[in-house]
Amino acid sequence: MNVMGIIFTNDASLGELTNKRTMASLPFGGRYRQVDFALSNLSCAGVRHVGIISRHNYQSLMNHIGDGEEWGLELEEGGLEFLTPYAMSSTHTYRGKLESLNYAMDFLEYGAEDEMVVMIDSAVLSNIDLNKVLNAHVASGKDVTVVAKSGICNGEKVIDLALKVENGELVDMVVDYAAGEDYLASMDIFVLNKKWLMQQVKEMIARDKFHMDRDLVLGGWQRGKVSVNIYEHDGVAMFNESVEEYFYNSLSLIDKDIRHDMFHGNHPVYTKVRDRVPTYYGEACDIEDCLVADGCMLDGKVEDSILFRQVTVSKGAEVENCVIMNDSVVGEGCELKYVILDKNVTVTPGAKLIGTKKNPIIVKRGDTV
Amino acid sequence: MYFQKKRVIAMLLAGGQGSRLKVLTEKTAKPAVPFGGKYRIIDFPLSNCVNSGIDTVGILTQYQPLELNEYIGNGQPWGLNKTHSCAQVLPPYERHDKKSGWYKGTANAIYQNIDFVDRFDPDYVVILSGDHIYKMDYAAMVEYHEKHQASCTIAVRNVPLEEASRFGILNTNPDNSIYEFEEKPPVPKSTNASMGIYCFNWKVLRDALVADEEDPNSSNDFGKNIIPKLLNEGHKMMAYPFDGYWKDVGTIDSLWEANMELLGKEPAFDLRGDERAKIYARNSALPSSYIDEKAKIVNAFVAEGSEVYGTVKHSIISIGCTVGEGSLVEDSVVMPGVEIEAGAIVRNAILGENSKVCKNAVVGGAFGPDEKKSISVTSKGAVVEANTVLRPGDML
Repeated sequence: MNVMGIIFTNDASLGELTNKRTMASLPFGGRYRQVDFALSNLSCAGVRHVGIISRHNYQSLMNHIGDGEEWGLELEEGGLEFLTPYAMSSTHTYRGKLESLNYAMDFLEYGAEDEMVVMIDSAVLSNIDLNKVLNAHVASGKDVTVVAKSGICNGEKVIDLALKVENGELVDMVVDYAAGEDYLASMDIFVLNKKWLMQQVKEMIARDKFHMDRDLVLGGWQRGKVSVNIYEHDGVAMFNESVEEYFYNSLSLIDKDIRHDMFHGNHPVYTKVRDRVPTYYGEACDIEDCLVADGCMLDGKVEDSILFRQVTVSKGAEVENCVIMNDSVVGEGCELKYVILDKNVTVTPGAKLIGTKKNPIIVKRGDTV
Repeated sequence: MYFQKKRVIAMLLAGGQGSRLKVLTEKTAKPAVPFGGKYRIIDFPLSNCVNSGIDTVGILTQYQPLELNEYIGNGQPWGLNKTHSCAQVLPPYERHDKKSGWYKGTANAIYQNIDFVDRFDPDYVVILSGDHIYKMDYAAMVEYHEKHQASCTIAVRNVPLEEASRFGILNTNPDNSIYEFEEKPPVPKSTNASMGIYCFNWKVLRDALVADEEDPNSSNDFGKNIIPKLLNEGHKMMAYPFDGYWKDVGTIDSLWEANMELLGKEPAFDLRGDERAKIYARNSALPSSYIDEKAKIVNAFVAEGSEVYGTVKHSIISIGCTVGEGSLVEDSVVMPGVEIEAGAIVRNAILGENSKVCKNAVVGGAFGPDEKKSISVTSKGAVVEANTVLRPGDML
């Protein structure tokens, strides 16, 4: 099967955390960026031609991904392509996925005609075997396969695309709506036939329609023009669509089953290599229920937290339920609860920061508290 | 094909068995032996090369090369896979004139690869070995060599007089020029021990290698033949004093010691230090380590991809290990992929890659402060069965 991948970097906002980066380059899980999950899903399914569509803020992303070497995508043929507005036939940014695909026609045209396309977003993370999805798509004979997850819709969370299935039949579909528990939430992973997709994009744009979920999937299905197959993912899916969710999902990695599903479920998760030394646990440290990356120096007490690479926790500091990103330093005697420290933050000795589960305190990249 | 001329290239002797590492090198060449949680011994000279601006490295392999070759690959982890750089594995090969076959000695290994060196037309060749743990700027040594217009420069370190008879000793004039070389002298005249790191003018070395090959009585070894021969011929040879950390990890005891010297607030050998002297390693895609609420870790390294539920004191836990609930690991080196099950006790041991210590088994023992430690070792993939004992100093 010839397959190409398209990753959308997602420009949603998680406040300060995405101030200078896309959702794709948001650090997650101690040593990853969110895009690592999409890239690894594609790479481990044997996809060797991947385009990354990004509107803005793609500097840190390009720096992270480079030529795609870590994901086996540094290839002569195919490989990795950044589809930024400047690299496409447009100098203005686009309004929706369909419009961005319209500008990426050159990329789509490359390669065999019978290719399949996997579209994947950077806000919903999973460790999924895409070959199973591809096979299910082909077997279904439908136009679009939507990968979806149960247990996400709860009547409160607004879901991009929610689908209701009864007796194996798709009976309802809603967009941008707080669908009830009996709906499945789209994981923003779609499989389609390339030729069909290109035709649809052209027709949609010709009618000034640019929204993937609303116009192509929902609209097409309602008009009886698009047949939709649903693939239910039975593993973990992390919808990091708000600070609260990002924080909750980060800390849930401490749970063994969730962690193993995300990091070892179907395949490894690749990321940029940093060559840090192993973490040093000092004489006075007390670490409980934590995920710890390489290069840390630990002398304080840390509980139920995620420590990224090269974090320092000094003597007498107490850290609980926190996410601490690369190169941050927690000074002596500090007390941190429900806090997200972005990269390179310095918390001066004795400082006290107490957030809540719903509203963790976020300290901006490079700040000193 | 176009080969860019290089001022300096390095040749890394990585073919030795390292028989004094016993079971650890039964299936692995010494340079591929794991070290410090996520490294292998060869990462040190390779990273030193890269950090010294040497981008062309020939690696001479012979003993058990599979794992080593696989590890080096195309040199990508060290950035040696670019258009004008390389990490070239050089195994022994067959030649029409039969002047080939297994490498007979260190000098013969280079002799058989004269063609490889000639391609780069280097002014200087740095000869290294894959047995030592240290960080060194070879560029500074080459500068020194050039400044003194020497034919050969040998890195030396000061050793205690009582240990000097275990080393190759270089007797020098006040200006550090060498007038005599003595291999393991019973009565040493100085304490300048050769570190086995040489910088040669390639023309001089090339001629010496060709002449040495003609000599049927030579054992084709740098220390025994090439160095004394060049001295006798009156070549200018310099000693390059090095006072940084340097450790020969050729024995079980020294390998264990060198690992332990990475620990502490101010370790004898600090792997962090200078960004420009970073040690690179081939990385496996492993997630962060998980430290359980019942875990207790004191003065230890834990590398990525490990899960710790037990107690770890003064030890190195490498990548991808599991330390089970209620187990104790103390004063030990736990190599990659080791599984220590619940209730096991491991003290003063080196656990080889992917070995397993089953439930309630005991490996090694404790020693008093003045007692000589006797390290227990498990080989690659070995299994210490549940409720059994591997006594101090025993190997499995």
